Amino acid sequence: MKKETKTNKFISIPFIGELALSGARPLIGVFLGLLAGAGLIALSGVNPLHAYRAMLEGAIGSPQAIANVLVRASPLLLGGVGVAIGIKSGVWNIGIEGYMYAGAIGAGIIGIMALPVAPIVHIILAMLAAMVFAAVWGFAPAYMRAYRGVNEVVATIMMNYVAIFLTSWLVHEPQFMAEPGSFFPMSLLIAPTAKLPILMKGTSLHPGFIIGIAACVIFYLVLRFTPFGFRTRMLGVNPIGSRYAGVKVKKQILLVLLIGAVLGGLAGAIEILGLKMRVYMDFVAGVGYESVAVALLSGGNPLAVIASALFFAALKAGGATMSIQTGVGAPMTTIIEALCVIFVIAVGHGERMRLRRLEAKAKGTEEVQENDN
Amino acid sequence: MTIDIIVDWLQATLRWGAPLIIVSIGEVYAERSGVINMGIEGIMLFGALAGVAVSFLTENVLLAALFSIFLGALFGLAVAYLTVSRRTNQVVTGLMLNLAALGGSNLLFALLSESRHERVARFPILFPEVFHNIPILGPILFRQPVSTWIALILPFLAAYVLYRTDWGLNVRAVGENPQSAATAGLPVIKLKYQAVILSGIFAALGGCVLTLGEVGYFASGGMTAGRGFVVLAAVVVGGWDPIRTALICLVFGAADAAQLRMQTAGSVIPYQFLQMLPYLITVIALAGVVGHTRPPKTWGAPYDPKDV
Amino acid sequence: MTQNEEVTLCMESITKQFPGVLANDQICLDCRKGEVLGLLGENGAGKTTLMNILYGLHQPDSGKILINNQPVEIESPAKAIKLGIGMVHQHFKLVDTLTALENVILGIPSKSSLHLDLSTARKRFLSLCEEYELYVDPSVETWRLSVGQQQWLEILKALYRDAKLLVLDEPTAVLTPAESEQLFKAIRKLTGEGRSIIFISHKFGEVLEITDRITVIRDGHVVGTVLTKEASYSELARMMVGRPVSMERKQRPENPTIEPVLVMKNVEANNDRNLPALKNINLTVHAGEIVGVAGVDGNGQLELAECVVGLRSRTAGTIHVKDHLVNEVMSDPSFVGYIPADRQKVGLFLGLTVAENLVVKDYKKPPYNRHGVLQYDTIRQHAKNLIKEYNIKTPTEEVDASNLSGGNQQKVVVARELSEKPALVIASQATRGLDLGAVESVHDFLLAERNRGAAVLFISTELQEVMSISDRIIVMFRGEIMGEVDGDDADVSVIGQMMLGKVEEVAA
Repeated sequence: MKKETKTNKFISIPFIGELALSGARPLIGVFLGLLAGAGLIALSGVNPLHAYRAMLEGAIGSPQAIANVLVRASPLLLGGVGVAIGIKSGVWNIGIEGYMYAGAIGAGIIGIMALPVAPIVHIILAMLAAMVFAAVWGFAPAYMRAYRGVNEVVATIMMNYVAIFLTSWLVHEPQFMAEPGSFFPMSLLIAPTAKLPILMKGTSLHPGFIIGIAACVIFYLVLRFTPFGFRTRMLGVNPIGSRYAGVKVKKQILLVLLIGAVLGGLAGAIEILGLKMRVYMDFVAGVGYESVAVALLSGGNPLAVIASALFFAALKAGGATMSIQTGVGAPMTTIIEALCVIFVIAVGHGERMRLRRLEAKAKGTEEVQENDN
Repeated sequence: MTIDIIVDWLQATLRWGAPLIIVSIGEVYAERSGVINMGIEGIMLFGALAGVAVSFLTENVLLAALFSIFLGALFGLAVAYLTVSRRTNQVVTGLMLNLAALGGSNLLFALLSESRHERVARFPILFPEVFHNIPILGPILFRQPVSTWIALILPFLAAYVLYRTDWGLNVRAVGENPQSAATAGLPVIKLKYQAVILSGIFAALGGCVLTLGEVGYFASGGMTAGRGFVVLAAVVVGGWDPIRTALICLVFGAADAAQLRMQTAGSVIPYQFLQMLPYLITVIALAGVVGHTRPPKTWGAPYDPKDV
Repeated sequence: MTQNEEVTLCMESITKQFPGVLANDQICLDCRKGEVLGLLGENGAGKTTLMNILYGLHQPDSGKILINNQPVEIESPAKAIKLGIGMVHQHFKLVDTLTALENVILGIPSKSSLHLDLSTARKRFLSLCEEYELYVDPSVETWRLSVGQQQWLEILKALYRDAKLLVLDEPTAVLTPAESEQLFKAIRKLTGEGRSIIFISHKFGEVLEITDRITVIRDGHVVGTVLTKEASYSELARMMVGRPVSMERKQRPENPTIEPVLVMKNVEANNDRNLPALKNINLTVHAGEIVGVAGVDGNGQLELAECVVGLRSRTAGTIHVKDHLVNEVMSDPSFVGYIPADRQKVGLFLGLTVAENLVVKDYKKPPYNRHGVLQYDTIRQHAKNLIKEYNIKTPTEEVDASNLSGGNQQKVVVARELSEKPALVIASQATRGLDLGAVESVHDFLLAERNRGAAVLFISTELQEVMSISDRIIVMFRGEIMGEVDGDDADVSVIGQMMLGKVEEVAA
């Protein structure tokens, strides 16, 4: 029987280290990302401090700014939590963009119809339609991943493009949804009864962010306090062990991916009913992928999704002001977002894997580890 | 007259397929070595922009191509460092790179806005005028710029290197079973770096060919329009073989050419469905309906040299 | 077999420490020219690490390696190959999609970087095949080759590089008897040419047949080196398995064992390589008894446990637990408690808290789940109780399970699996990597289960503990049950020989 030499002393260091790392890792990454962004801004000839100050102003400098941030955060919250749940269970749900389009189509179809119902009913119907459309849309890749082991990343990205082109077709004349005679293909205007109310005069602030934050809180509670959430976490940590413990793995993966789809659909619906008022191609350019970034920063924790979604939204809202005031191009914010995520995964990943490996060696035997995954 | 339409379509197929083929060459190598470079969409975008910019500034397409190659190598190096040395998740890394490239290219393009409406120097047509008038083959083959011809020859070269040289053998071994490769004494990390840098180079070059091969200008916001992802799909459907992948790229190029024409011509099938075609094909292929090739065994998996 | 005094390889005082484990402890080993040196030791004894050091995959913390009396540094496999060391690993290092020939030349630069010189390579390869009578078709993709041919390919790879010292790690593990003979013929030819061979194996019969000397390693150090012609089965068994001196037999009350709980009839199953791992297993475990499964690691024990639990499908036969046919994973905790060999892979959820780990099978049911809401107070209290009862050392029940030491992690698994009072308990290498105190605890828990009336299947490669706590002992060899002895008056040498494949008459 193997002697365990010095194991206890060894373990106590990673314990504290792990705690510090797991909290600090995203922050360090974000900090490095902002630093790198500052460098790029400086390269373009602008003082980074001025630029960041302008950004801050554009994000929190006035009630209108904050409203702007909340509006932009709305789809990121819903998309982000959908991806986050996937991350928690070990699947990569990159199809947000597609789900948003599918949801937009569903909401759009109901939304443009003049229904003789109260606004709240019309809105709810539109949202339900969105969720159904998104679920149907997401079913194929979800099934393929859950039951056939197909790589969900490539499958969902491909479906994103199909969704975009489908939308393009639907809003193009002579489809029933299209606005006749418009130079740019788009759908008919959403009926007044289907529009989401504006919460603050002079802004485009709609209740989307409330729904988003509510979703994050709800899913945090689900993950933490329900059997379903427990299963999700088990799956993400140990798929083989989960199977042994009686989890129906395939069903669980399917459900997790479908939830992501439904949330994405809801996000798309809210964008249409609250902000854009029409369905058209590119109505959410890149927001789907930004949701993935949001979820990554949050490490899969729905409450952290609130923070990272707001952070990204602030970056974007502030970026517009920054661009006006200092001349730094608006796309810089997208670059900074991407840099933040890259630094987070570059910094964090190496550490955690190394620690795990050392711990595994300490607790197991010295047997050669087979390349199994 | 339908012959004209078909000839026109075939000519466009080669032209639109060329950039896809070029990008696919590098990506095949990267994936064969076990690394999925999801960022080729973004690198392609930068290559497209760089090509136009340098061509505008110097009126020399060769310099433009060389600069694109240089840029692509830099990006490839960055991706390699992140995915191979830091062992980050390859999907996320690539997606974030695309995001950054989208923003970056838009930013940089604004600096060049004066050139927006000018057509810059493009790749020269390879064959002299006299060939152009040969019926059918003339327009299809001989009116192509040199870049198309390069794109048609590259897959064969790439296949030769992959299957008949030391380096190609080593790359294949590394992607399939890096532990065995390491035991045989191969420098696994170095080989992965080389393959990924190559994917960056070809992605940028492909982007450069996209703008300079035909169009001659750069349109912000979506020049590449997902073509990088189409190449990723082509590699999967093509079974990670350079020649088969190139053929798939041509098929995708044909769909691309067709839908462009249909947008103006008007037809029974809405052109959007042709746009969807490459992506739908990939999804179906993934589901295993078409063919049974499987990816290199360590496709997308991080490699830890300490795993003996 | 000539005994030449010229020493090809000398490893002096090799020491290698991994976090928490001393893999090699001052190991000294030498191999002479033209000799076959047998290397014996359990999995985890340290011989794999030692060979990996020899091949440049690890660096020793201290010690020297001499090749032909010259001290060398082996910093990489490339260097090892250059020094004339060839290694044939137990788990093949072949690239499946490449052809046999491509695998052989992998890593050897061609004369021209523009062209693989396949034709020259093929000629040389085929002549090697002729010379040693190990035939492999060079143009076939490796995954199509039979396992035996893949083994030849590994050997040919080393010979292609003109290896003077060949290390064969469990070379006959996947060979038929006929192929093993072929291998031995080739080995004799190689030593006749003056090459040296290190022959690592569990199979004593073969080791005794083909080697000149045998070095036995246990727990990271060398137990001794003997001349083969002077060695005997029992002496080797004793050296390898350890002297069962202080093998105290645990006291237990007599249990009338009548009610069968686990019934296995004609069970057969394959391992992960699709080779037969279990052959015609007939086994019954009754309530209130511990059946110990002895045997050298890799003889089907893992597959046996997995089949009973339902993690592995059978190719033939039936398994019943309390008249319930096992067809899928048995996750009902009142039926089966499973303490797996690789706790980190199956038993534990590193990333969940200790408390959560303890309810992984029960969380759906009340009192842990009421109206769809998990009751964490109850879960925590349950955890606190188990922590106390099973003496699990952890700061609180809320810490991440990955922060516990190996022994305490195992206790978590034990606590979870046993606390529901299952009818059948399967412990597969349950004490691996644990310190003595933890081992004692596990034994006590299992005995308590037995006394309570559970049926216990105790699988372990440590013969001492098997003999210490089992009521009956069965011995597994190559997927079959070689025989059964009574726990109370078991004879070590008889069991030892059964472990090595020899079935002796047991005096009634």
